[in-house]
Amino acid sequence: MKIQVNARNRAYQFDVAEGQRILYGGLADGIHLPYECGSGTCGTCKARVTAGQIDDLWPEAPGRKYLKQSGEFLMCQCTARGDVSLEVTNFVYNMDPGACLPVAGRGGVCKPRMLTHDVIAFTIELAAPCDFDAGQFMAVQVPGVTGYRGYSMVNFEPGAKSLEFLVKKKPGGGASEWLFNSKVDGQTVELFGPLGSATFFPSLAKNLLLIAGGSGIAGMMSILSRACQEHYFDQYGGHVFFGVRTMKDTFFLEELSKYRGEFPQKLSVTIALSDEDPPTDAKGHAGLDFDRGLVHEVAARHMKGKYQNMRAYLAGPPPAVDAAIRVLLLEARLTADNIRYDKFS
Amino acid sequence: MPKTLICKRSDVPDNGLKECDMQGGLKVLVANSGGDYFAYQAMCPHQDVPLCEGLYDGAVLTCHQHLWQWDIRTGSAIGLAEAPLECFKVEIDDDSIYITAGGDALDVGELFSGIADSTLGSIKALAQRQEMQAGGTLYGIGDPADDFFILESGRIEFVIGRDDRTSPAGFMLRKGEVFGWAALLDSQPLRIAKAKCIEPSILLRINGKAVLKVLESDPAAGYAVMRRLSSLIARYLAPSGAK
Repeated sequence: MKIQVNARNRAYQFDVAEGQRILYGGLADGIHLPYECGSGTCGTCKARVTAGQIDDLWPEAPGRKYLKQSGEFLMCQCTARGDVSLEVTNFVYNMDPGACLPVAGRGGVCKPRMLTHDVIAFTIELAAPCDFDAGQFMAVQVPGVTGYRGYSMVNFEPGAKSLEFLVKKKPGGGASEWLFNSKVDGQTVELFGPLGSATFFPSLAKNLLLIAGGSGIAGMMSILSRACQEHYFDQYGGHVFFGVRTMKDTFFLEELSKYRGEFPQKLSVTIALSDEDPPTDAKGHAGLDFDRGLVHEVAARHMKGKYQNMRAYLAGPPPAVDAAIRVLLLEARLTADNIRYDKFS
Repeated sequence: MPKTLICKRSDVPDNGLKECDMQGGLKVLVANSGGDYFAYQAMCPHQDVPLCEGLYDGAVLTCHQHLWQWDIRTGSAIGLAEAPLECFKVEIDDDSIYITAGGDALDVGELFSGIADSTLGSIKALAQRQEMQAGGTLYGIGDPADDFFILESGRIEFVIGRDDRTSPAGFMLRKGEVFGWAALLDSQPLRIAKAKCIEPSILLRINGKAVLKVLESDPAAGYAVMRRLSSLIARYLAPSGAK
């Protein structure tokens, strides 16, 4: 089936298979259609049908609240019933030649392990190796749950044969319930990706500020992994702020402590605890700082006057990301292009 | 637009914002910048998000959704923003804030905003207002490119190709958008696309050579306009930079 997209600057044509989401078809063809979450929540991939018929796979998608005019739909949630012409009001370009082209794939879940009482980590062994950029995410569809959910990769390696993820327990969240309550080891999941533009490349040549709330630390670990592999912190500063409620909600402290140990001069890591005072005895967490407060407040306190030549990456619950954006724009005076995050709401 | 009361000065916090409802459903955003007041369209030109929910420090307004930003004193786009804000003229009378005029398409336009009033006045004098019915064609492929257009309202679509093998080539829908800019280039180029009105549309039609003549007498404005024209053209050629 042929899809024609009439964008502000020009038209694009691509084919989709039966049942393939229109957004995924265009992205797989190297057309940078507008999107952020790729999973029905943010509304960024809004488009309008001008000819043909579509089917909506998830009529209750939260991102539909951004639809206003008749004929509007979310490209990430709709499939074509035949040839379709649609319109997006954005400028649309082909993807950068260096971009990792997203593809549909599948993989087997293995090594599920609880990191805290409500955060699970797991590995997906890929049927085919995959290139992705540090900070990107994968749309994952689990058995018995309609639709994809976006999960950021924790690891970073070119031609990865497996992907590491972590997910926070969300009561009533289909994919999250499945991960926490089922025998997931060995089960096959559908994938589409890599996705997301909050990516880090060593050619950036700026100091890094990574602010993450809860499971938002996933993509930051990928960025840290790449930066450390390539000795980025020999030259540039790195400041990591990881916010959780209490000490029993912390995880990855060992890994963060190891990265900090490799680059003690340039890399700092601060764990922000919102609901309790930091431990008096931080033994076993060599090199990590602990402070009390919401992660954006702690970051603002520690970073005052240190924002020169800075690129910030943000991830976590939307209120935490919004609060961090406010600090970075209004207090730190970072320019908008130096504040990177993917919107999931 | 007749002079219309929109709110009291005391309604707009210091270096803050207020969204005002006008009769007829129009919403206007009023910004207080160090005691000066400015009025703009209330919704983000990107995705219809209320700008009063944005981040504002008294100088720069940021839409919280995708971080588009504008200079609050001019409405011009900064950073990631791809469109300026539509501006309304403001008049202060004691404690009352009035708007007296909606932004003319030429004032809002991405090409001429910020140039000297006298030069803008000369260009305005050259502009002819043109009303088009839905389905009307403004120009066809191969026509001489004498005039360029600024969209006041409505919607224009472009088509390239010949006979029955045509392809859409983008569209214009924002007030102040400029098209047919080949008329501002040297060597008398011809139209490379067909421009069709999809909805009833109102345009300002301006002769390219006459504008170039006006700009020759004000090189500072000419430089500013040519810089904007080249970045406008570049938007059609390549990505504006990785996000």
